[in-house]
Amino acid sequence: MKFNRREFLKTTALGTAGLALSPSFSHLLAAPAGAAGTSGAGGFPHRFIFIRKSNGNLPEQFGLPSFSSEERKKHVEKEAFDVDLEKHELPEWLRCLERHKERMTILHGISMCVSGGGHYSYSGCLGAYKAGRDILSNIKWATVDFELARLFPSPFGHVEMSLAVPHGREFRSGIVSGYSAPGAQQRNYCYADPMTAYNELFKSVTDQDAVETDNSLLDYLRDEESARLKQLDGDERLKIDNQVRGLEAIRERNGKVAALGDTIKMHLPRLAPIHENGGVDATLLEKQEAFTDVIVAALASGLTNVVTYTIDDLGTDIATLPENEAKTSIHAIGHAADAGALAMRAAMQAHHMRQIETMVTRLEAIREGEGTMFDNTTIIYLPETGAGHHSPDTEAPMVVMSGRNSRVDLAGRYIRLPFHGTEGHKTLSNWYTTLLNAYGNPIKHYGDLDLTMQRNRLEQTGAIGRFMV
Amino acid sequence: MDDAGTSHGARVRRGRALVAVIAGMGIVASATEGAPVQNATELHDRAMRVMETHCFSCHGPGKQKGDVRFDALESIDPVDLQKLFEASREALRLGEMPPEEAESQPNREERELLMQWLEGLVSGEAAAALAEKLKRFEYGNVVDHGELFSGKHGELPGYTADRRWLVSEFIFNERVNRLVDYHPTRSVYGKQVAVRGDSGVHWSPKTEQGNKFRRSITNPFLLPKKVGVRYSANEALTSGHLLTMIGNARRIAGYMASDATIKKHYPAMHTLMEAEFRHREILASRERFLTTPFYMERLLRDIFGEGNEALLPVIKRVDLPYPQPAMRNGQVRIETNLGLLDRLDKIDLTAVFEGLHEYHKEGVEYERIIEQCERDWGREGVVESRILNRVGMLKAFKVNWDIQGIIGKASDKRYARPDYVPLDEAEMRVIEATIRKYRKGGDSYQAVIDKCMGEWEATLKAEREAMPAPDKSLLDGLVGQLYERIFERQPTEEEVRKNSAVLLGFMEKLERQAAIAKLIETLILSTEFVYRDEFGLGEADELGRRMMLPRDASYALAYALTDSSPDAELAMAVAEGRLNCRADYEREVRRMLARRDVWTIIDESVQAANLNASVTNQPIRKLRFFREFFGYPKAMEVFKDDVRFGAGTHEAAVSRLVDEADLLVEHILERDRNVFEALLTTEEFYVYHNGDNVAMEAAAANYRENFEYFSKFDWRAFKPGDLAPHVSFMLSRGLKELREYRPGSEKKTLDILVRFMKTAEHQFGAGQKNPVPFMFVGYGYWAGGPVLGRTGQQMRGEAVTSYWNIDWRTWDYPTNQPAKIPNRKGILTHPAWLIAHAQNLETDPIHRGKWIREKLLAGTIPDVPITVDAVIPPDHGRTMRQRMEERTGAESCWRCHQKMDPLGFPFEGYDDFGRYRVEESLEHPDNLIRKAPAPYGPISELTFGAMLPVYKTLPVDPRGVLDSSGDARLDGEVRDSFDLIERLARSEKARQSIIRHAFRFFMGRNEGLADSKTLMDADRAYVVSQGSFDEVIVSLLTSDAFIYRRSNRRE
Repeated sequence: MKFNRREFLKTTALGTAGLALSPSFSHLLAAPAGAAGTSGAGGFPHRFIFIRKSNGNLPEQFGLPSFSSEERKKHVEKEAFDVDLEKHELPEWLRCLERHKERMTILHGISMCVSGGGHYSYSGCLGAYKAGRDILSNIKWATVDFELARLFPSPFGHVEMSLAVPHGREFRSGIVSGYSAPGAQQRNYCYADPMTAYNELFKSVTDQDAVETDNSLLDYLRDEESARLKQLDGDERLKIDNQVRGLEAIRERNGKVAALGDTIKMHLPRLAPIHENGGVDATLLEKQEAFTDVIVAALASGLTNVVTYTIDDLGTDIATLPENEAKTSIHAIGHAADAGALAMRAAMQAHHMRQIETMVTRLEAIREGEGTMFDNTTIIYLPETGAGHHSPDTEAPMVVMSGRNSRVDLAGRYIRLPFHGTEGHKTLSNWYTTLLNAYGNPIKHYGDLDLTMQRNRLEQTGAIGRFMV
Repeated sequence: MDDAGTSHGARVRRGRALVAVIAGMGIVASATEGAPVQNATELHDRAMRVMETHCFSCHGPGKQKGDVRFDALESIDPVDLQKLFEASREALRLGEMPPEEAESQPNREERELLMQWLEGLVSGEAAAALAEKLKRFEYGNVVDHGELFSGKHGELPGYTADRRWLVSEFIFNERVNRLVDYHPTRSVYGKQVAVRGDSGVHWSPKTEQGNKFRRSITNPFLLPKKVGVRYSANEALTSGHLLTMIGNARRIAGYMASDATIKKHYPAMHTLMEAEFRHREILASRERFLTTPFYMERLLRDIFGEGNEALLPVIKRVDLPYPQPAMRNGQVRIETNLGLLDRLDKIDLTAVFEGLHEYHKEGVEYERIIEQCERDWGREGVVESRILNRVGMLKAFKVNWDIQGIIGKASDKRYARPDYVPLDEAEMRVIEATIRKYRKGGDSYQAVIDKCMGEWEATLKAEREAMPAPDKSLLDGLVGQLYERIFERQPTEEEVRKNSAVLLGFMEKLERQAAIAKLIETLILSTEFVYRDEFGLGEADELGRRMMLPRDASYALAYALTDSSPDAELAMAVAEGRLNCRADYEREVRRMLARRDVWTIIDESVQAANLNASVTNQPIRKLRFFREFFGYPKAMEVFKDDVRFGAGTHEAAVSRLVDEADLLVEHILERDRNVFEALLTTEEFYVYHNGDNVAMEAAAANYRENFEYFSKFDWRAFKPGDLAPHVSFMLSRGLKELREYRPGSEKKTLDILVRFMKTAEHQFGAGQKNPVPFMFVGYGYWAGGPVLGRTGQQMRGEAVTSYWNIDWRTWDYPTNQPAKIPNRKGILTHPAWLIAHAQNLETDPIHRGKWIREKLLAGTIPDVPITVDAVIPPDHGRTMRQRMEERTGAESCWRCHQKMDPLGFPFEGYDDFGRYRVEESLEHPDNLIRKAPAPYGPISELTFGAMLPVYKTLPVDPRGVLDSSGDARLDGEVRDSFDLIERLARSEKARQSIIRHAFRFFMGRNEGLADSKTLMDADRAYVVSQGSFDEVIVSLLTSDAFIYRRSNRRE
């Protein structure tokens, strides 16, 4: 199919997936046909931060200590019910979000059987399909974060960061393969250390020479390919012409990012020197804090509206937390059920929550229209593998922080939806369909169907109606 | 021959979707008088109303004069439809229609409206869109089959247009592997061999023989996931490809311009980088010297003498208590497994060992060792968190670990204080001067090093910047080396000039290494890297055709059979001018077809899913054709429910199923006799087999021998100590897991033995004479299992037998395979094909039938009309066939469904997991008779090894109808799938249909009438050679269609 420069720009989300500027895919970020629009409340985009964590989320940890006996019974027996968080205490590990309870949701009862996966679900937990063993051909379609990024175009379109350490060796650094998917059979890249993320995201103001060289490269390539066009007709012309137009479009957008320079400078974070050269000496908390700095700055400067952040995986080195008496294996904790393992699991999650708290607070400090940037932000903290180390995937408790302008109505509540395989149950696919529908993608159903629901002949398609504003 | 599927003329076909698509394309008004209708949908609707009034009486549901019917345009094939529109336009223009005698005549306005509508369809964007659509493989069959093989068009000149063909995902992988020096290997039948087709995926959980860097290169050229030929020469680069390639180019360039690669491959680049390398080495040497343990301490003492002490930083001790002893069963538990030390941070562990080595002495208190270590680390400037971690380690070692063992490890000389070896005098003078310049009181060693390194880096950089521009010959040489590496050719003079200039431009902004990397990026982003050129050269014949450029021809031939660049012989043939005629092509094709020394991974998904081997030493594209043609690999993508599989994890088992389908196809291709017939009718299959009969027989015998040996003893009562008399047997003839017995592992070994014996008892107790050599002991990467797959990993996925209606625990296992399996005949009854053509929860007679219509009968099925809700309504009281007949039996549906359903119904003899059946389970809670038995329950309660619930059933009706086979003796009602398959295997048309698909696969395009001779020649080659597919390939790759190119350039 032939495409012109305008279409190219559209399909790349007005972004500057520029040579110098983005390791991430942006080419599938166009709003789908029929999308409601590409701006959120007050003309501001809505932002999303997806935080993926490993080892599942144990349902018990998501119960509230102040539940009445009846509520506790329902919680334990997995019966559907809601409570108002304002009237309840949060569990210890969630307590740092106390101040933000009004905007917080403990979302319970969503199943992840559609993504499954055992130790890892790779792109599945954001794509609502089984990704198998991370083989490209198993990636069925764009993950939900990329779909949302299409709705709120930005120069980088979508940014992914990761503290994953596959198969448990040393922390990675640089740009490595990620877990999100920009489209079917496509694997995203991600930043594996904060300094690389900083260097790549803010390059337009921190490394002018690199940007200029990249632009020269684009110009040269465009000229060379244009020369090949001579004497070509029809399909053979198209085969080269697309490349020429693509190069021109990227070049054009590099210019647009350059124009964002002042805004970027305003929000440019300061990373400690310990993060240089991959940050070999940086502790886990230092890495987490630095990533938080970069994420907030990337959102605040308008470089992206969607960030996916793998805050840990089974191989992540847990040796430098204050709670560490010895190095902790996340994998071992997943297999253990003793009090020590549970306490360590809660401690790790508490650190995750502190990062979320920082994100919320920082975004609240940035004015946007009549409110703050957090008003237009949603943070979703979700497990990669359901309710435990290798599932069960029948549950996947999440924490959601949603700003005032959220188009999904769930803030301030503990919500438990009907259990898997029963009437009214909602799957990960329903949850993502809800997000997409709420923010302008009218897709009837995103994600795979759940076979248990299908076998039981239960309705399972579409958005979760009660959450739609 | 009545060929309703393919003949020309306006026969009734389906295709509302086509009309809808055409209508939706925004056909604009043509230049007719009045007010042309602008809206395409409105135009279509109004035109149809006119037709209904004036045309349908003769060309509608009641009558079809001239075999023309206008009320069901949607049911006509695209090509036929186009011809109908053209004929109608002419008839309307000439006033021939409606005929004068017709009762109803359209008025002028109505005629103009019809004319506008037809003009738009015949010459507008719709026609162009149709032309584009017809290039797609799924529309290949619209060219009339009878005409193609009639012999009437044998004189038409065959050729393919000059073209650039986008690389496939497989070719891209090989190109990248070459550039990043990724040379994967596998153990195949015990030998380590190089393999192709590896993109760095982790295929073995233990060995992690994936390549993390290689995996970071994302393949943007993945072929569409569909059944049928997938790799088309019509594809063009898109923005998606470009943006992905930008990231890829950076990574590949980073590798190619790395120090190690430059030194290894690029002499000109190396010379160009000489100063940068030299400076980097100077810096590295100084840094190495300064960071060698204890060197700074000595150096600073030498430089500052007695004043040194006062300049050292003040050390604050870490406040960390000793841990509590770990307890187990009321006793202190000391960790003696020092292998677990590997789990600790390597940097910190090494520092701790160095500290212990240095300070652990007779009579020195442990606390004093810690204090001295802390002092050293503090002076070095180790970050606080690391000091904390190290002190924590030291204290934990003391309390909870085998401290003597640890001290023993630390006493290794590699942790000893190294001898102080200063650099040469000049270097030491520089170092000393810089340290004197920058050291401040309280600086840690690292702070001093950082300041010195900063100064030296700046000085050396300034020195490089002052150097003159590099010599032109060096730049030219560099460009030549890069072209050779990336494009496998030498650059032209113009290319050298341009690229050298670009490189110089980059060097103005960047250091040389970065500038070279940028040039590499530029070359990788060039379209030449991702297209394969196929252009004609030399004098054109009278028809304007030229032979391919020999270099292009070598790639075309190599890529026809493999995914790699031309092999050495082929490249030599080009260099020596021996690739210039048909005979040259034939020689090379036959040579490549005979090669068995190249191993290729068939499918990484199959491989990674379950440690399957999935490798072949046949030319991969030969096997890939049949994989794509039959589409059985899609079985892995159909989302199935483990509960309904009932025999464990479907995902693991189905990957073995696909692996063994590959093995079968490979086996038939290796024999190369009556290949199509064998694929369609073989009754012998591979089931839980690695393709090596000797190995499988030995494994089964070993299994039996172990069972018989231990059966003689009361193994149930064995205690670990009772194994002693059997050690000799275990170590010599025991199963692999038992051979791993070592003194001290009695308990573990006994556990394995008991599990084995229990499993084997099930097997032999159920009357099995020859056992499936599989048992539930560990996983392949820890314990190989009784028999290994081709690649030396445990053969897993024993539940594969369940798809074949076999319980692996009661099966009298045939070690020699392929072996006859009851109720199966050919690939179309292989569970992999049946699952690939099934739905999530049900069978799919429509797609099974569609496959036969399109792939074996060269027929066409129009797209599903967009107005149709393609769902068979559920009804748990009736079979799938009964429900379908009600839904698709309506006249409007049946016009198309009659081409599919009667061909698909015979396969109702197999369920959606490919299991043979004569009764269909009505799976619904209301029909439940008995719940599924518990996991690993008594064999008597299982259904061929699967824990399946029992539902009410209805008999399966497997009857069907074969039509349009091209042979009246074969057409007619069929009893069941066997009957259908046997008829198809005897059909000339089915054979030719496969040849047509092979043509598309090897040519990368659809066939036309001008390819008639090529197709008939290939068909003849097959028949004459008694069914050799190799001969089909030789015929195709030496045909006019392959060797001749015609220019499509603008003059």
